[in-house]
Amino acid sequence: MYCYIYDDLTQNQRFAPELALIENRLTDLGIAGKIVRMALFRNVQEMVRDEIRRGITSVIAVGNDETVHKVIDVISGTNVVLGIIPLGEGNELAALLGVPHGLAACDVLSARIVETIDAGIVNGKRFLTSISVPNFGAELTCDGAYRITPDEPSFLEIRNLGGDASKSERISDPTDGRLETILRVSVKQGWLGRRSVCESVLPLTTLAIRSETPISITADGEEMTGTRFDIGIESGVIRVISGRGRKF
Amino acid sequence: MASSGQETIIAQGVKVEGDFTSTGDVLIDGEVAGTVRTAASLRVGETARISADVTAATAVIAGEIQGNVHIQDRLELLDTSVIHGDVECRILSVAAGATVNGRVSMGEVKE
Repeated sequence: MYCYIYDDLTQNQRFAPELALIENRLTDLGIAGKIVRMALFRNVQEMVRDEIRRGITSVIAVGNDETVHKVIDVISGTNVVLGIIPLGEGNELAALLGVPHGLAACDVLSARIVETIDAGIVNGKRFLTSISVPNFGAELTCDGAYRITPDEPSFLEIRNLGGDASKSERISDPTDGRLETILRVSVKQGWLGRRSVCESVLPLTTLAIRSETPISITADGEEMTGTRFDIGIESGVIRVISGRGRKF
Repeated sequence: MASSGQETIIAQGVKVEGDFTSTGDVLIDGEVAGTVRTAASLRVGETARISADVTAATAVIAGEIQGNVHIQDRLELLDTSVIHGDVECRILSVAAGATVNGRVSMGEVKE
């Protein structure tokens, strides 16, 4: 049994023709199901939890990375399979999973290649792709054993599943039980003092960020602000439908 | 907990303090204070400044280490390397210009 979670953004009229085609295609493929629409003042997690109690086997997020981010806490650790029909902007996760945009995603759902992947967790909230922290100058405690501090404000990225394939970056493996932590610092080099970016890479399981002043981090496109962030990883807790073109 | 079998890079521009442990290859170009331990190979770049006891399976050193160096197999000291501490390894290669201020012992190295 399939349950389709329609993000708020799908209510925009520009998506109406494509949604009609998608619904027809899902019916043709025999995988149509209940449609649940996200809306202001509706708790989507409660709605998904109710559907899981009623016995659904697949939750399909129709929208973007933020739509997925809203449902992963509920389906994590269950046997429910997560699928995505990407619509609109901000679909990094779908691209990494090899799920094409819009109508073409229906065939990927129908083929149902299921991967079991890890989920990152930050202050109790799960994420699938990565955390990014621009202008990071705080202290990072790694695996409870050592601390890293950048000499100058840097760019911090903590990836479960991420990497820009178009820039020949290595794609983090979301099945290895590790978070790939990347710290990019601009460093003066040589007598002329030219700056170049030096990149540290650490495969870790737990991290703690402590800052004297509040900092903003972005996890799966959602911004969080605070002075303390405890980050970890849960191995193999999300079952997700991927396409043949998946990047990991 | 240790880092995994993947490669770890500690680049220029960062300071690491504490007990750094890995099961994979490690490349250090930044500053490290504490201990460094890896079950695989270690490469210490020219810009690295390490104040720590270092343990690895094999190592190539081009930077500066203040501490004892304990290598199970092959240790290669490049011409820019500076070590202030005792060195223990099975096979040693020293380039002209390398500096070692400490006792050097060679042979089978116990883990």
